[in-house]
Amino acid sequence: MGILESLLTGLDEARRRWGQTLLSLLGLVLGTASIVAVLALFGGQATNTAKYLDEVGGAGAVIVRDRALPPEPTPRDLASKRLTYADARFLKDRSRTLMAVSPGWARQLRYQAGGTGFTGQVIGTVPDYAVINDIAPMVGRYLSDLDVLTQARVAVLGWKFADSLYGTPEAAHNRLLTIEGKVYRVVGVLEREEFYFAAWSGNELEYRNERAYIPLTTAVQQYAENDRLDFLTLKASPASGPRLAQAEVASLLYARHGVVDFDITPSGGGGQDDDDTAFLLMFNYIFLVVGVVSLFTGGIVIANILLASVVERIRELGTRMALGATAGSIFLQLLAEVMVVTFFGGLAGLALGSGLTGVVAMIMQLPASVTPGIAALGLGTSLVVGFLAGLYPAWRAATITPVEALRA
Amino acid sequence: MTAAAVPAGAPLLQARGLTKVYQLGRVKVPALRGVDLDIRAGEYVAIMGPSGSGKSTLMHILGCLDRPTEGRYLLDGDDVSVLRGRALARTRNRKVGFVFQTFNLMPRLTVDENVALPLKYRGGLSRKERRARARAILDRLGMSDRVAHRPDDLSGGQRQRVAIARALVGEPSILLADEPTGNLDSASGAEVLATFGDLHRAGHTIILVTHDPNVAARAERIIEVADGRVVRA
Repeated sequence: MGILESLLTGLDEARRRWGQTLLSLLGLVLGTASIVAVLALFGGQATNTAKYLDEVGGAGAVIVRDRALPPEPTPRDLASKRLTYADARFLKDRSRTLMAVSPGWARQLRYQAGGTGFTGQVIGTVPDYAVINDIAPMVGRYLSDLDVLTQARVAVLGWKFADSLYGTPEAAHNRLLTIEGKVYRVVGVLEREEFYFAAWSGNELEYRNERAYIPLTTAVQQYAENDRLDFLTLKASPASGPRLAQAEVASLLYARHGVVDFDITPSGGGGQDDDDTAFLLMFNYIFLVVGVVSLFTGGIVIANILLASVVERIRELGTRMALGATAGSIFLQLLAEVMVVTFFGGLAGLALGSGLTGVVAMIMQLPASVTPGIAALGLGTSLVVGFLAGLYPAWRAATITPVEALRA
Repeated sequence: MTAAAVPAGAPLLQARGLTKVYQLGRVKVPALRGVDLDIRAGEYVAIMGPSGSGKSTLMHILGCLDRPTEGRYLLDGDDVSVLRGRALARTRNRKVGFVFQTFNLMPRLTVDENVALPLKYRGGLSRKERRARARAILDRLGMSDRVAHRPDDLSGGQRQRVAIARALVGEPSILLADEPTGNLDSASGAEVLATFGDLHRAGHTIILVTHDPNVAARAERIIEVADGRVVRA
């Protein structure tokens, strides 16, 4: 009997024993479902994180920070002016790997418009900030190079501040605003920024709606003694990539400071609460472990039931041997049986997993979906489990002698 | 249907000095102690003996289900005592047709699927051809109206006739029946024995293992086994 005939016999036996084998599949079905659902949700979350990174500056962003002074600073350390607006302009002029240079200054200052007043964040920055952070005005315009050059007293408001100071974003346009006693004209209001990692979590970008942007030069002139920066965010040009940009920026800054008193790191996305991330990751891993454990258990159950079925069918196997079945064809027949069964178990698990993904994605409002890759992985895993579970029982059945089998 | 490749009268089956020793823990238990046997093509032979006499062991070796510890066994001119594994399975498939006391039909297969099973293990025939051959044999044994039934729907006598059809479908050299009437009432038993009689007249070589003298009496020759030896041939 050829391999094909053995497989067909196995298929046939699996079909005829359907009721019995259904039970043995439960572990496999649940395991596959769990793995498929976890991978799909994991994928959804990864998509979400990528989208978030895109919103806040993309994966290509590079952040430069002042390094804390060593306990015993050298004269060079003390001589350095640290990160300044002059550094930013130097980088903008000299660098060949950067697409955007966004220096920033941030303070909590007093806002006043008409009868409404409160304390909130003010960001002093340049037009490149909008490039890196993907923000756009819904009313009016953003800061311009001319604003920076002329130290203009203009402000661009976040959506929430415009709303609370003037009633509507449209009403804010061209109105006057006092920040810490200095008068500014509102030249634009930014679009409302929103991002939710999950239905239960808040707007991750709400902080961006609660601030005003003014030209960096204006901020330095009106409120500061020097041009020290609070942040310096850079964006590498697509042709260079962040690694090359980091190296170039490091050497340019070293040339100016004479000491490495800065840290350059790729943008980690930030924003999202670390506890939230840790919780979601733990959640995912727990489900993945549960999936693998139930698959493993499912495999053991299948192996056990198949072993019992070998004992139960031993006379049948003996008869088949008497009629001319070789050890190889018995082995193949049993392996084919278990593979067929686990294939359908895998399919059922896939269906259940897809359903589960749909429900969880709907409740948590995640963009999760079962991709062909995840489906193939789920099905493949169940087939591998079936194959491994079938090996020992099939080998046992194939190595029984015909006389032993017939005597049982 | 041709019954055997060897012409009638020539020795189809030759056994010389067959011994079989079983190892039970540290104890060696001899089941056969040097059996010499000749069976010619077309013979109808009954092997008789009380339980424990070694007749089952002899049948297993003659049917290529087991190998002798020592001795030679020629079937159809081939020394099958040296074969093992795949070659032995192939010999069983082509040269031996088994009929068991408990019929040993596959309960989930239909009658014609059961009968076609040896052809499936032989390979080389399409499903349609296998089914056609199975139905031809069933027709000859008067079972053509039961081809689509499952064994559970048949009487004991009918089941044994299906088993005989399965044994015959591959046109084996010998038909080996182990207590074929042991699980049947007397009427069904008589029917089955009549079938063996018909097959013998058609030229088949039949070896029937039994402890029942009345059954053995239907054969042309009785071989008696006791204590692992042939005491009457």
